[in-house]
Amino acid sequence: MMKNIAFLSATVAMLVLSGCSTKEPAIDATASTAGSSVGTGVNPNATTSTDSNAVIAPITNANANDTAAANGTNGSDAQLVSILFDYDKFDIREDMQAAMTKNTLLVKEKTIKLEGNCDEFGSDEYNFALGLKRANAVKTALVNSGANADSISMVSFGESNPVCLEKTQECWAKNRRVDFKLP
Amino acid sequence: MKIIFFWLCLIQLLWGADATIEVVKGVARLTPLAIEDSSPQSTEMSQKFSQMLAADMNVVSMFSVDESYAMAGFDATSPAPAHKEARYLLRYRLVNDGMGGVKADVKLLQDGTPLFLKSYILKQSEMLVFLSHSVAYDINAKIGGSPIDWIKRKVLFVRLTSPRHSEIVASDYTLSYQKVILKGGIYGFAKWANREQSDLYYTSLSDFKPTIYKMNLLSGKKEKVISSDGMAVCSDVSEDSTRLLLTLAPTGQPDIYQYDLNSNTKTRITDYSGIDVNGQFMGDGSIAFVSNRFGYPNVFSTRINSNAVSQLVYQGKNNSSLSSYKNFLVYKARESTSGYGGNAFNLHLLSLNSGNIKRLTASGENDYPRFSPDGEAILYIKQEGSRSSIGLIRFGINKSFAFPLKIGRIQSIDW
Repeated sequence: MMKNIAFLSATVAMLVLSGCSTKEPAIDATASTAGSSVGTGVNPNATTSTDSNAVIAPITNANANDTAAANGTNGSDAQLVSILFDYDKFDIREDMQAAMTKNTLLVKEKTIKLEGNCDEFGSDEYNFALGLKRANAVKTALVNSGANADSISMVSFGESNPVCLEKTQECWAKNRRVDFKLP
Repeated sequence: MKIIFFWLCLIQLLWGADATIEVVKGVARLTPLAIEDSSPQSTEMSQKFSQMLAADMNVVSMFSVDESYAMAGFDATSPAPAHKEARYLLRYRLVNDGMGGVKADVKLLQDGTPLFLKSYILKQSEMLVFLSHSVAYDINAKIGGSPIDWIKRKVLFVRLTSPRHSEIVASDYTLSYQKVILKGGIYGFAKWANREQSDLYYTSLSDFKPTIYKMNLLSGKKEKVISSDGMAVCSDVSEDSTRLLLTLAPTGQPDIYQYDLNSNTKTRITDYSGIDVNGQFMGDGSIAFVSNRFGYPNVFSTRINSNAVSQLVYQGKNNSSLSSYKNFLVYKARESTSGYGGNAFNLHLLSLNSGNIKRLTASGENDYPRFSPDGEAILYIKQEGSRSSIGLIRFGINKSFAFPLKIGRIQSIDW
């Protein structure tokens, strides 16, 4: 008899538990809960009041123009030749040595700015650093040839100063470069 | 008795199986929601707001959103005829305040019962999409969705418009609203200076040396922070906005520095002859960064006043960009070594506690990941040819979204 009562109790418990399962999606259950506790608590005065989170602050700015704008020139100045680099590299290629020799003669005793540039693959800091390392490789070569290090400044433009905008290998190769700029 | 028990067990098993099926169906089929315009008159702005709310509620991802437009009385208990299938109704009433702003009343009903009622004030009507984001935020909070604090934040990005020309733009996360903050020069790496988004840092490449400026958004006032030969980038801002991680290259070598804004002093963090960039404050006080010290870009960490450097990522041979949130990192990995087209860059999430890595994107050029300040989502740049989009990944619901930029190419983003 006790065994039968135990069996019966177990099955009743299983039925009760299974009967408690809901067929509503979980999202409804959440919303219903919110409704039962919040729905009746909607404040009729809410339409005439706002909280601080309901005020959306404007975006303003005094002056959208920066007067120190660049003039938008591309490539190297005068007869100077831009030095091209291989993908993801910052060592001066063998076929660029003649251009380096020519540039060295033209810029000796002059103040110059070296602008490092990259192709369009990546706009992150690493790509900018790659452009800088290219400029620094050219600077080191110039200094080794007798140029004054203090007369050479550098900047990296990353991928933001392409001379060629087509989606071709030749174009990307042209953009991986260091330009020589005279003040 | 045994026979009765057998039948009861069978019924229980069948009932249980049915419940499981229903759970699966419940997950797949979201509850239908419709959006209704209760404005005094249907206008271009009020119709546009319906589309904005529909887009936001899709990102909230807790409803099956009926995007059809209809008008209905704000206090009506039944839906518009076109929306009779909807169990949830999101109603709004927009009224111009006569001073360039908008007042909005918003109500959410479930089966005719009000769940939510709130009024909003928008001071600039052209920022209507931010009103939609605020409504979505409140509705999501009301129904217990995963946190979406990021949805109300302003996004800052640098747009390349032509060679040597770029603009700094403030927008919402969908790029629906855009305001040019600065133009006419060459800029990069714009970053919010504080949680309140009142000021920003950016790099100007128009000066003789790359220079980091701080700009106040309200007054437009700019002040120089620091300049460096070669490269100057503000990579990260500490949570209390008092310290910066900068990449500077005074001798032509890009290294990471900490800049204390209270004392205006800088401390060199790394000293390596190759490339060290992209410093990020970590939750344990360390600093994560990208370095090519093993011959290829990868993610490492160090501490201030320590020479010890630890490798953090052991997967991939080209991990060149990262963002941190407490002890989580998201980094960009190049999937191929091709120097030409067809390159794939994917984003990966690394938990420094467990060491687990999860790939977040499947294909394409995915760049410049940025955690939201609450760590709930990642914003990133998706490049498709000459076109840029802003991508959004929500961890809590395992979903991603993309919002295209119509003009220009995005160089950097922050939020």
